[in-house]
Amino acid sequence: MTMLRSKTIDRPLTSRWVGFFVVFAFCCWGPITDGLADDTGMIERITVEPSSITLRGANRMQRLLVTAMRSDGQLIDISRRVHYESRNREIVRLADGVAVGLADGESLLLVKYEDLEATVPVRVQNLSEERRIDFVNDLLPLFSKLGCNGGGCHGKASGQNGFKLSIFGFDKDADFDALVKEGRGRRLFAANPASSLLLKKATGASPHGGGQRVKPGSPDYEILEAWIRQGMPPDQPGSRTLVKLTVSPTERVMEFGAQQQILATAHYSDGQTRDVTDAAGYVSNATQVVEVDRHGLVRVGQVPGEAAITVHYMGQVGSVRLQVPRSKISPSFEFAPQNDIDHLVAAKLRKMRIVPAELADDATFLRRLFLNVIGTLPSPEEVREFLADTRHNKRSVWIDLVLERPEFADYWALIWSDILMVDRQKLGERGAYELHHWLRDQFARNRPYDQWVFELITATGNSGTNGPANLYRAVETNEELARTVSQAFLGVRMECAQCHHHPFEHWSQDDFYGLVGFFNGVERKPIAPGRVFVYHSGLKETRIPLSNRLVPTRPLDGNIVTDTATDPRRVFAQWLVADDNPWFARLVSNRLWKHFFGRGIVEPEDDLRSTNPPTNEPLMAWLAAQMVEGNFDLKKLMRLIANSRSYQLASATNETNQDDEQDFSHHYVKRLPAEVLLDAISHVTGEPESFPGRPPKTRAIELWDNRLPSYFLEIFGRPERTSPCECGRSSEPTMSQALHLMNAPEVESKVTSPTGRVAQLLKISNLDNDAMIDELCLAAVGRMPRGPERQVAQTLFAGSPRKQAAEDFLWSLLNSYDFLFVK
Amino acid sequence: MLPPFRDGIDRRGFLRTGSLGGLSLAEIIRLQRASGAEGKSKKDVNCIFIFIIGGMAHQDLWDMKPEAPAEIRGDFLPINSKVPGIEVSEILPHVAGVTDKLAILRSLTHGDPDHTAGYHVMMTGQHPGFGGNFNRNVTNNNMHPSFGSMVARLGRNTGSFPPYVSVPNFLNSGGPSFLGPSYAPFVIEADPAAPDFSVRDIVLPEGVNSDRSLRRQSALRVMNRFEQPVETLSRQEQSLDTFYDKAYQLMTSNAARQAFDIDRESLATREAYGMTSVGQCCLLARRLVEAGCRFVTIENGHWDTHRKNTESLRDLLVPALDQGFAALLNDLDERGQLDSTLVVLTTEFGRTPRINVMAGRDHWPQAFSIVMAGGGLKRGLTIGATDKQAASVIDRPITPSDMAATILTAIGIDPDLTLHTPLGRPVQLAGGGRAVHELFL
Repeated sequence: MTMLRSKTIDRPLTSRWVGFFVVFAFCCWGPITDGLADDTGMIERITVEPSSITLRGANRMQRLLVTAMRSDGQLIDISRRVHYESRNREIVRLADGVAVGLADGESLLLVKYEDLEATVPVRVQNLSEERRIDFVNDLLPLFSKLGCNGGGCHGKASGQNGFKLSIFGFDKDADFDALVKEGRGRRLFAANPASSLLLKKATGASPHGGGQRVKPGSPDYEILEAWIRQGMPPDQPGSRTLVKLTVSPTERVMEFGAQQQILATAHYSDGQTRDVTDAAGYVSNATQVVEVDRHGLVRVGQVPGEAAITVHYMGQVGSVRLQVPRSKISPSFEFAPQNDIDHLVAAKLRKMRIVPAELADDATFLRRLFLNVIGTLPSPEEVREFLADTRHNKRSVWIDLVLERPEFADYWALIWSDILMVDRQKLGERGAYELHHWLRDQFARNRPYDQWVFELITATGNSGTNGPANLYRAVETNEELARTVSQAFLGVRMECAQCHHHPFEHWSQDDFYGLVGFFNGVERKPIAPGRVFVYHSGLKETRIPLSNRLVPTRPLDGNIVTDTATDPRRVFAQWLVADDNPWFARLVSNRLWKHFFGRGIVEPEDDLRSTNPPTNEPLMAWLAAQMVEGNFDLKKLMRLIANSRSYQLASATNETNQDDEQDFSHHYVKRLPAEVLLDAISHVTGEPESFPGRPPKTRAIELWDNRLPSYFLEIFGRPERTSPCECGRSSEPTMSQALHLMNAPEVESKVTSPTGRVAQLLKISNLDNDAMIDELCLAAVGRMPRGPERQVAQTLFAGSPRKQAAEDFLWSLLNSYDFLFVK
Repeated sequence: MLPPFRDGIDRRGFLRTGSLGGLSLAEIIRLQRASGAEGKSKKDVNCIFIFIIGGMAHQDLWDMKPEAPAEIRGDFLPINSKVPGIEVSEILPHVAGVTDKLAILRSLTHGDPDHTAGYHVMMTGQHPGFGGNFNRNVTNNNMHPSFGSMVARLGRNTGSFPPYVSVPNFLNSGGPSFLGPSYAPFVIEADPAAPDFSVRDIVLPEGVNSDRSLRRQSALRVMNRFEQPVETLSRQEQSLDTFYDKAYQLMTSNAARQAFDIDRESLATREAYGMTSVGQCCLLARRLVEAGCRFVTIENGHWDTHRKNTESLRDLLVPALDQGFAALLNDLDERGQLDSTLVVLTTEFGRTPRINVMAGRDHWPQAFSIVMAGGGLKRGLTIGATDKQAASVIDRPITPSDMAATILTAIGIDPDLTLHTPLGRPVQLAGGGRAVHELFL
């Protein structure tokens, strides 16, 4: 196994090898490169966190984090490689890098690595006196630390074997009742703590599905035991509260095989802090890049990339962003910027030691531009014209032209109809038509985003004539409105907080019902079948169901609203679209970015929580600022994006960027969306699709009825529009898609249509086979045929009748990846 | 000369790094250990999963209460079956002859009377989490993967045949959820009992013979530059590439295409299953499993007998199921395939103990029955019991999670495996359920 030491994966390996290698490498975490004995530099200095320690009462332990700086600037966690020494071992001792207080007094800790040394003063206080155990601050965190209240155990909704705790300890009252009052009190015996079921189960003395979680006599055991002995005191009103969680480090560039300990520190209202590293929970958002264990130890694998570790502790969260570059050597490259986007993209690429792709050729660029901006293929004539255009700024010129095409409004109305759940099944024909029509109009006029969102949120009136009022038919409850609006326009996912404190975010039920309050009072007065009159009847009291607790209406992190004269939705919408709203401009910028690049800077694009940080924060911030500065002119930001070199990169990769899926080092290839693909097939074959009840030549991207029967649209991932996101739309390949494209009579009849493209071309008398091949290629893949393609086409023409050969070539074009994907 | 034809599945068909997404490395290691190097074990069990949509009246079929008052026991009498002591309904005469091959589980319970939630919990093992009301407009299947998708994702891949097929239609909760569309079922969307039955898109279109198809495929090969290493393709292209491989194998493999060709069965065999939708689906399912399919879901609808329960069951619903289900067990057994094929007959819930004013029975999730057969499970027994009115479980309650654990264990997948959703939430495959150990030898 040690043969794996400092070995990196060389490309190209066969894929079989890579899969095996990755698995194998992860089987033996330990002996991979340590990043120390390395030719990239010497260790220059070491630092220890925290720089001084105070241990009080029940808080007896503090983990130390020792970081070395290498001469090349690389920071390395050496906490597990240094020698620790306590000056006074009666006061404090060290166990596996953790300082444990033994008696009141002071001591000095020495940390040594080779000839480098650091010292940390330690003070231990009030250890000898028995301290009252605090239910919320001392006891509940233990259940998280020991894994009792996780979603896989007693924390799940149904509990485990009759004992149920709230998930991650968010509900202190329920947990207190579960421990002290339920089970006829048999879980705890103050007179004889050791015979309490809680301790017997936790120590494994009595059979326990979760096994032994705590050792008798350990500090954790002592806390449990002391709390029981003290008579199980409940939460004390007025006792100190947790105000925030800090983590260290917050960001780090790491190498393959490296490890990093995370240090989590709780800060309380009385100014005290406590090491909660072992009690906090950790989740990696990219386990193929890094994994993290429940003690906060991060291990990097052999896959380059970026990961965020979410740290959560008693309703507070923090995050650690980790970057694992592909190589140790920083490559040099030229990246001639076309606008400011490119500086920001290039800065990140240099940090990740990735060389970007070349600029895409003209034909690829044009097809990509047409498909991304208007969901439409360029015609052969347009391709020819663009290729022949000799102006040095022709790409910019054509970007402006395409942005002004009429299909723009069709395509963007389709995209936003997904997000806003314009579902005919739910809204009926009239409602779906009106809302879609209104959306289309906003895009046709390029109305500023903040303005039309404001109108949508505050929509009032007859849903049969006022499109946006149908938002309140698509979403029927106040809770659902709060969820929908916060996800669709803020990128804040509140669904967890409806029922309990969000486990990965600081939102509580109060935050959720504070938002619900704005919609509490929205009335939908029926005026005709399928039509309602929407209005708001004024600010009302909002209560949390079950607990029946009153919650003031207020925006996220905002002020309580008491104005009863105004439609509360106006107050909300003003806050929503305000320039300083931290999410509003960010989300829409990220949506546009994802649309053009195939991946958001934040992913999923509508999940902007602090624990899901962007892969390029400066870029994200800059784009959002541009959006605000440009007064939410969506086309303006699209223009900026499309003109960047970053957008115009080729999809072909090099050695350094082939694994990159988040730093935009090359174009990420995506399949054409269902409607766009169907239109493309119609366009290339020259045989339009006919939709029942729609005028001839209606295009799929123009459809407002998402339930129009179409096997094609269904298998290619048309969404049902039942959630407020673009996530219902699937671009994932399936076998049915491959079978359909190859064999479906519906597709074949287009290919062989007597009025289709092939038939039309055959009628042109002086069109030779080569010209025919060119035409078909230009129509389908927006470029001239490559050498081998022309050859194979010629072989087809030589071997079968002309019509058949042309059809067969067209068939192969329609099934080719250059056609099915945006390259 | 045309370029040589594609060089087979090996280079392009193998699991690629891209398809590792969704599982953490620890999970992959665990899977590798689970599927291990021990070769073909008895754990290569396939599954035919018959879902009775609407709610199957347990007290009229599997859990008779002849001693109960008339408004409870209903109109049917119990009859003796092949196994002494096991009684089934008189409207299950065929099944009565095969009780030595099956196990009746009489103590299923989950408590949600809603169809949507019922489908979901019985097709995935986990309650969808929305709760309380009837007929909610909820997106199905965005909660937990169906058993079929779990098998497609985690079970041993048997090569060219689609691992998960749904006949004749897609079941709302039969999808892959967070596992991703690659693990969705291949849905045939055609009724094998129809005289013109054929599966969509698996045969060449009219006007294209195999020569012409070969020319097209050869041209496509050049278009897609198959001479280049597959790693140069993007992740989505690689994924579609895999499906093109599988689709092409399905189209061109006689064995695979013949599996769908139910006309190849003798008339006697077809009639033994009954010329009904569910009968022919059972027969088709047997053919698909033989061809390498790992999991077949059969959808059988319209069992929501709120009115005229007796007539609906006796005249419309049960005869076809009785004949098809019994024929399937007999046929599998005669072919020596029953031990390697788990057959599950299940439903979203049972029906109310008391017959209502419309002579129907309503939804009853507190206690109901399902049937399992084959797959190496014990045969000829009943498990669990309900009270005198078949209203509540009095012995050995079995939750849908327990059912999930039983199915997965029989198939050879660790029910305790924990997967993570894209948002990082840990999800146990069988929701912490325990396999019904009495069923295992």
